[in-house]
Amino acid sequence: MFSKEEKTTSFTIEKCNKCNKEIKRNFKEGDYLFSETTKCPSCDGKLQVEKIFGETIKQ
Amino acid sequence: MDFSNFDFDQFFGFGEDSNPLMMLIWIIPIIIFVFYGQRIQLIITSNEIKKSINKLEEFRNESRNFLISYVKKNLKTQSDPESKIDQFLDYFTVMPVDMDPNGIVPKIRHFIRSREDYTREHVRSLSPTISHYELSKIQTLVEIATSLKLIHKLINHLYLTAKKQNNYPLILPLQMILPFIMEEAEAMKNAIPAFSHGQPIGDGIGPMVVGKMMLTTTKQALAFETVCGETNYEGRKLFLMKAEGPSATVGRPGDAVEEIISKQKLDTIIMIDAALKMEGEESATTAQGFGAAIGGIGTERYQIEEIATKHKIPVFAIIIKESVKEAITLMTKNIADKAEDVRSQIYEMIKNNTKVGQNVLVIGVGNTMGVSQ
Repeated sequence: MFSKEEKTTSFTIEKCNKCNKEIKRNFKEGDYLFSETTKCPSCDGKLQVEKIFGETIKQ
Repeated sequence: MDFSNFDFDQFFGFGEDSNPLMMLIWIIPIIIFVFYGQRIQLIITSNEIKKSINKLEEFRNESRNFLISYVKKNLKTQSDPESKIDQFLDYFTVMPVDMDPNGIVPKIRHFIRSREDYTREHVRSLSPTISHYELSKIQTLVEIATSLKLIHKLINHLYLTAKKQNNYPLILPLQMILPFIMEEAEAMKNAIPAFSHGQPIGDGIGPMVVGKMMLTTTKQALAFETVCGETNYEGRKLFLMKAEGPSATVGRPGDAVEEIISKQKLDTIIMIDAALKMEGEESATTAQGFGAAIGGIGTERYQIEEIATKHKIPVFAIIIKESVKEAITLMTKNIADKAEDVRSQIYEMIKNNTKVGQNVLVIGVGNTMGVSQ
């Protein structure tokens, strides 16, 4: 009766292989660890998926 | 308080001025509980168990329906896959006879692998053009749905048997194991979204740690769905091994170690794996130890232990502690954040336990869903 519903959201952390800048965004279909995604917005390096994880919040 | 003048007759209603109604109020429940106590307990316990069985039935139906809709949505099937999938869900494995346990491990390995191969080929028959990655995902979803169906069937059988026999002691072991079964069943049900989206699970921390170390190496297949890369570290040669990602597979590390030892002399083996934490322990804590850190039915561990013993190779292990739920559902942030720390522990372990010029095999054990190399 008093238990709160849990909701898990998946996130992807991308890291630039040149400037080490990290970007956190929502997970999207096709993401997998260590895949190269897009160009780094800060330098001319490439972003690589560093972590994929879920964060749970109680509603 | 003074109990010396306590009147038992008055308390139980047996005195001369007692009320017969009061006597009945005391005696009738005693008689009922003496003769029908177990039945009353059986009814109460049965109701609780029935609620859990209804939940298990829900999990079973949800996993089956999800699997069917996933196959219909993602595969170009030639016919309606429903009846074929229902057939997969009824697969069972008869374990080899263990009256004479000598030589039982290769037999178990053979039966388990035959089952895996058979399931894989039957899933492929749904859509012959299916990719290896998609095939591994559906195979895992089939395993989950099969397990949930089996759990429901088994628990329901035990419950109905106890009810049929009106046997309270028969329902007690069921009542004791049910919370653990429910925890596992719930974890399995929660694993479905992670596998369908191709996301790494908690058990994938071993492959995640080793996968990053393998990024710059040239990979070669050593055994079925198992790859290895070579690199150097402070004068040591490192062989880095994991299941081939990002598919949902654990590979065949036993066969791969056998293959590598036939070509290379190994001086040390280091295994990285997720391990079940004990109650009270914190998630995502690490520990170092000795021995082959690998779960499953035991055949892979047996194979690695045999090789290590035969060649006198020390086996070190680093484990990352997790709950059952964390191990098979989407990786948590705490566990993902631990990867870098475990990598530095591996390098430290190599420096402390090996000499320059030696060969070290590092194995990332676990399901490599969503983890490439």
